[in-house]
Amino acid sequence: MARVIAREGQERRVDGIGQGDHLCLVYADDAEQRRVVTAYVRAGLSRGERVLYFADARAPREVLGWLRAEGVDPSTALTTGQLSVTTAAVGYLAFGAFDAHAVAQTLQAEVSDALSAGFTGLRVSGEMSWALRDVPGADQLGTYETAVNAVFAGQPASAICQYDARRFSAAALDDTQRRHPGTVELAPLHLNSRLRVTPSFRCGQRMLRVQGTVDHHTIAAFAATLETVLGWPGDVWVDLGELEFIDLAGLRALAQTAARLPAGRRMHLVELAPLLCQVVNLAEFDDISSLTVTARDAA
Amino acid sequence: MTDPAGPRLPSSRRLTHQALIYGSDEEFLAATVPFCLDGVDQGDSLLVITTAGNTDLLREALRDAVNKVEFLASEEWYGTPGSALGACHRVVDQQVAVGEHRRMRVIGEPLWHGRDAVETAEWTRYESAINLAFAACPAWMICPYDTRLVPEAVIADARRTHPELAVGASTRSSPDYVDPAATTGFWERRIAPLPADGDGDAAVLDFDADLAAVRVFVARTAAALGVSPDGVGRLVFSVNEIATNALQHGGAGRLTMRLAGRRLVCDVANPSRRATDWFLGYRPPGPGQERGYGLWAVRQLCRLVEIDTSDGVTTVRLHVDLD
Repeated sequence: MARVIAREGQERRVDGIGQGDHLCLVYADDAEQRRVVTAYVRAGLSRGERVLYFADARAPREVLGWLRAEGVDPSTALTTGQLSVTTAAVGYLAFGAFDAHAVAQTLQAEVSDALSAGFTGLRVSGEMSWALRDVPGADQLGTYETAVNAVFAGQPASAICQYDARRFSAAALDDTQRRHPGTVELAPLHLNSRLRVTPSFRCGQRMLRVQGTVDHHTIAAFAATLETVLGWPGDVWVDLGELEFIDLAGLRALAQTAARLPAGRRMHLVELAPLLCQVVNLAEFDDISSLTVTARDAA
Repeated sequence: MTDPAGPRLPSSRRLTHQALIYGSDEEFLAATVPFCLDGVDQGDSLLVITTAGNTDLLREALRDAVNKVEFLASEEWYGTPGSALGACHRVVDQQVAVGEHRRMRVIGEPLWHGRDAVETAEWTRYESAINLAFAACPAWMICPYDTRLVPEAVIADARRTHPELAVGASTRSSPDYVDPAATTGFWERRIAPLPADGDGDAAVLDFDADLAAVRVFVARTAAALGVSPDGVGRLVFSVNEIATNALQHGGAGRLTMRLAGRRLVCDVANPSRRATDWFLGYRPPGPGQERGYGLWAVRQLCRLVEIDTSDGVTTVRLHVDLD
């Protein structure tokens, strides 16, 4: 399935999420979930927003523990009703089954309640793994995700819906990403003033997004970062559309990583500048059967 | 010096590289027709790259055997020395991968008309580099030189760049042949001092580890001097590769860009204790080889690449076309 994956949707850093956002977090790493949840809840509390959290794979006390570990004591917020950490069964399945429109209406009402109670807004986050269980109405999840866009757009409210990529299928992740206006950006694997390499999921697939410059200054870090990819399951897409520059050693590092992938797995380089596609050909990197290259459309 | 081609293989598994110096259509056909027919008999693959006139002559003379021969136009094939060598490698690789033919026979007639002195010198080096680049390939190449059209000096060089000469259906060794890797340095050639044919002032940048500054300088200067956006991209990529090499050897270098006729010429110079082989980058890097990819790609991205070491300075000169 060597389809072209354009940079669709928006990837948003967690510290830049604000009112009106309805984003999904697709993650495959517990530490990543903890980082995003902690930052999101913490920012909501400090901005005077009401925060509702619906845990499923985690126990509520575990989530509260993440806050305490970061120096945020949630007890006052819990007492005043600013913070509620409960379970998905309470939040999404309060009607015995999942009713997409009823839950969307409830959220709408929660926005008004939060404002009436004097909070500056509402933020909501839920672990969506309940939808994988044999729950009546779980097939309405997609309908729900589309419907709640209207609850948040332009409102003093935001949401992050959490999807564990180890549990949801690629098709389900693709579907949910299409229904959310944006995605929470995962923590960069490498970050300095010259080069930023960020993992992500696009169209349900593992993607590595490379921004900045790969040259003699950054090649060692870039090659080391690519080692991470070897441990990922399945195919990996590498988005090179935001590169300012990459030299031959950088392209070779990608080619050599592709060559080292276990049998049956492939690396797909997408959005590569036409000149660089020519270089890949000249250097005969395209002889590597586990490597595919798709050129950026000429502007 | 060790044999760059590795261990010796039986002669049919190694390169045969011959010049065919001819002064008439009859002389051309007397060598090329038996070469092709013999190749068909032996089950070799056949590729003929020549002029339109010679293609017509050979097609007619080969009669039924013509279907076993692939014809290409010299104008298409011989664009730049680097791209011609790269294309040749891809053909040979494909041949080896398919494994259908025992050997590959090529008739390749380079173009000499309209080449200036630097181009002629580099195409001569290309002919010499073939001996190294394809040394271990099961290929038999005949390069025709038409004495009616090609300057005498080029013919004299053809005798130096080809180990053998084809005469009719027979061959003899070329007494003038000079090994490309000869320790006498016969193929070493000082590059011309830039002001000799340069127009206007040179743009000069002394650089160290900050190659971002080099790339910006090259892009701005090349664009201002009239190089196309595509050409600017190729030059920036190429200079970055050469400058990266320079940093590994000298830690710093000097970039000089100026116009020379219809080309932009860009010198990357760095102090170097060791001489750099003139044919570097004419051979594709082998599997698992860490170094050598840079110049191989650069030679195929630029019109001409010259390499020279003198007085402790290695200079790589890149030529790109103006629009």
